[in-house]
Amino acid sequence: MLVQILNGLVYGGLLYIVSVGLVLIFGLRRIVNFAHGSLFMLGAYVGFSVAAMGGFWGALLAAAIVLALVGALLDIAILQPLQREDPIVTVLVTFGLLLILEDFAQFVWGKDFLKSPVPTMFSGSVLIFGESFPVYRLVVIAVAALVALGLSVWLRLSKIGLYVRASSADPLTTAMQGVNTDRVSVIVVALGAALAGISGTISAPLLALSPSMGSYILIESFIVVVVGGLGSFAGAFIAAIVIGQVHNLGLVYVPWAATMIPFLLMVGVLIWRPTGIAGSHV
Amino acid sequence: MRRSHLLAFGLLGSAAALVAPAGPATAQETLKIGVPTALTGTYAGLGAEAVRAIEFAVAEANAKGGVAGHKVEIKTLDTEAKPEVARKQAEKLALEGYKILTGTIASGEGLAMGPLLARWDAIYVSTINKSDKLTGDSCVPRMFRTNHQDAQDAAVVRPWLGSRKEGKWAILAADIAWGRDSGKSFVEAAKVNKKDIVAEIYSPFGSNDYAPFIQQIKSSGAEGLWVALAGRDAINFATQAKEFGLLDKVFVAGVSFVTDNNVKTLGATSKGIWGIINYSSTLDTPANKAFVEAWKTKYNGDEPASFEGETYLGMQVIFQAVEKAKSVKPVDVAKAMRGGTFDTVLGKVTLRAEDHQMVLPNYFGYIGERGGKLRPIITETIPANVATTPPTGTCKMGEL
Repeated sequence: MLVQILNGLVYGGLLYIVSVGLVLIFGLRRIVNFAHGSLFMLGAYVGFSVAAMGGFWGALLAAAIVLALVGALLDIAILQPLQREDPIVTVLVTFGLLLILEDFAQFVWGKDFLKSPVPTMFSGSVLIFGESFPVYRLVVIAVAALVALGLSVWLRLSKIGLYVRASSADPLTTAMQGVNTDRVSVIVVALGAALAGISGTISAPLLALSPSMGSYILIESFIVVVVGGLGSFAGAFIAAIVIGQVHNLGLVYVPWAATMIPFLLMVGVLIWRPTGIAGSHV
Repeated sequence: MRRSHLLAFGLLGSAAALVAPAGPATAQETLKIGVPTALTGTYAGLGAEAVRAIEFAVAEANAKGGVAGHKVEIKTLDTEAKPEVARKQAEKLALEGYKILTGTIASGEGLAMGPLLARWDAIYVSTINKSDKLTGDSCVPRMFRTNHQDAQDAAVVRPWLGSRKEGKWAILAADIAWGRDSGKSFVEAAKVNKKDIVAEIYSPFGSNDYAPFIQQIKSSGAEGLWVALAGRDAINFATQAKEFGLLDKVFVAGVSFVTDNNVKTLGATSKGIWGIINYSSTLDTPANKAFVEAWKTKYNGDEPASFEGETYLGMQVIFQAVEKAKSVKPVDVAKAMRGGTFDTVLGKVTLRAEDHQMVLPNYFGYIGERGGKLRPIITETIPANVATTPPTGTCKMGEL
């Protein structure tokens, strides 16, 4: 049972890092970034390629930097020019981008599934209450916790963090106060993309790499964002942890309903608490 | 305004798509093969194998001047391995004149296409679908299977399981038609051999995280594990099972698990996994050796993987049926296929008239090292008359 809870934390942690990137971008830009799943996928592939030469830490760093650049480019070239368009246009364009990036990955890395080895320093397992548990999974939990901690410190203490929180609450008033949302936005979208890259890299030793791997995680991340409350950071954290647990324990105890439970949770939240678990503002 | 523009474009697009299939007047002359297969999703890798084999067979035939003088043309559409998408895409292909359908991955897709084949005036030749239903209670005169069905795999598993020392077994299978079928036959094989099934788990198709299932298997006390997962599912499971130490602790065997493709992706992780081998490039028949050599020349020294060999076999059957029928009309080809005998990479094989199931030999083995390379190694060959059990009688085959 305890090991199952730890497993839930691993999956919830991964979901959290992906979804918090979505939340960042949504909070500032008010757009749903469909390409986020393919940023996760790109991160996994970049990590895979770099890990072969530069080791795990090199891969993590490279994926974060490459994806941050991709994110900055995404904001400057696509999101900013489209910001005055109907939101549906941005959704369609980012969806198109998802397809383009999938094709790009297929072109560069091929259609066959790839697998990243577990970094040697984290291979092996430890005994937890008499059950062996892989060290690498504990690392995933630790990375998720560090991201959560780092992000909340940054949001609370830095100036950009203040702008982001303000803008998430009310973009119009924030702009009226003289905040240049465009400049902030480049940084925020880059950060969101970098987080997708990091989650891609750390999930590479756990999951098979394929160009369409992003769509698997994207849907569950959307559920996390909706359940947590659109644009809410704390909400995304709680929702990711809850969904990770519900997903895992559901598979063990009510397997016939397991894939349905996260969706039911989302429907329930939308009916009874449309602002999400932690969403006091929208 | 903008939305109405979008709508107009959409309508225009669909109108264009509807007009396009009118097709050239020479449609009768060309042998048109439609390939509704998974190009994206969990089974994308398997779909890529099917397409590669079909392209190889078609190029080979066209280089010889076509099949009985008919030039061969193919068109591929993505089904995402989803039954409802497969039905739509197959219909699109059939309406465009690609009426000989093949290369589809999931059994559910084949089962979705079956009832509509007559309406489309098409035929479907399965080269990968395994569910017994296809040639059982869901059989139709226009559907054929040239690959192994679950019952043929079960016929191999039964005697093999009896020879194993492990008494407690767990089953992990994909929660789709094929996985359920395979799980059920393993339970029966266990009953015959007086083995205990301590866990029977069906994991959602396309799962990311197998940790909860791995934990369940570990705590079930199983000594052996039967796995019916394919494509991305197989790789995700094997990777994570290795990480949890399950592969070293429990004896693992499976179906569609010991494949060249999984060996390539998993590397050392796959070593020592046992299972049913439906096709291997190492099979020692003259036809297979020639095929493997030609394949290696075309694909830079790569050897054909399991689904590539099986799909190539299906193409051999289709081409020989066209030659025999001297026609590319689906119904004529179907008549030539029913009860026909064909020269294939697995030798001379017959497509049974009663249920349209190919009578095939089957193989068992493990992933081991040979010639300094990891690959599926066959330890046991089960002849066609033993591996293929007689028709169960659930198929009531109609007239063509």
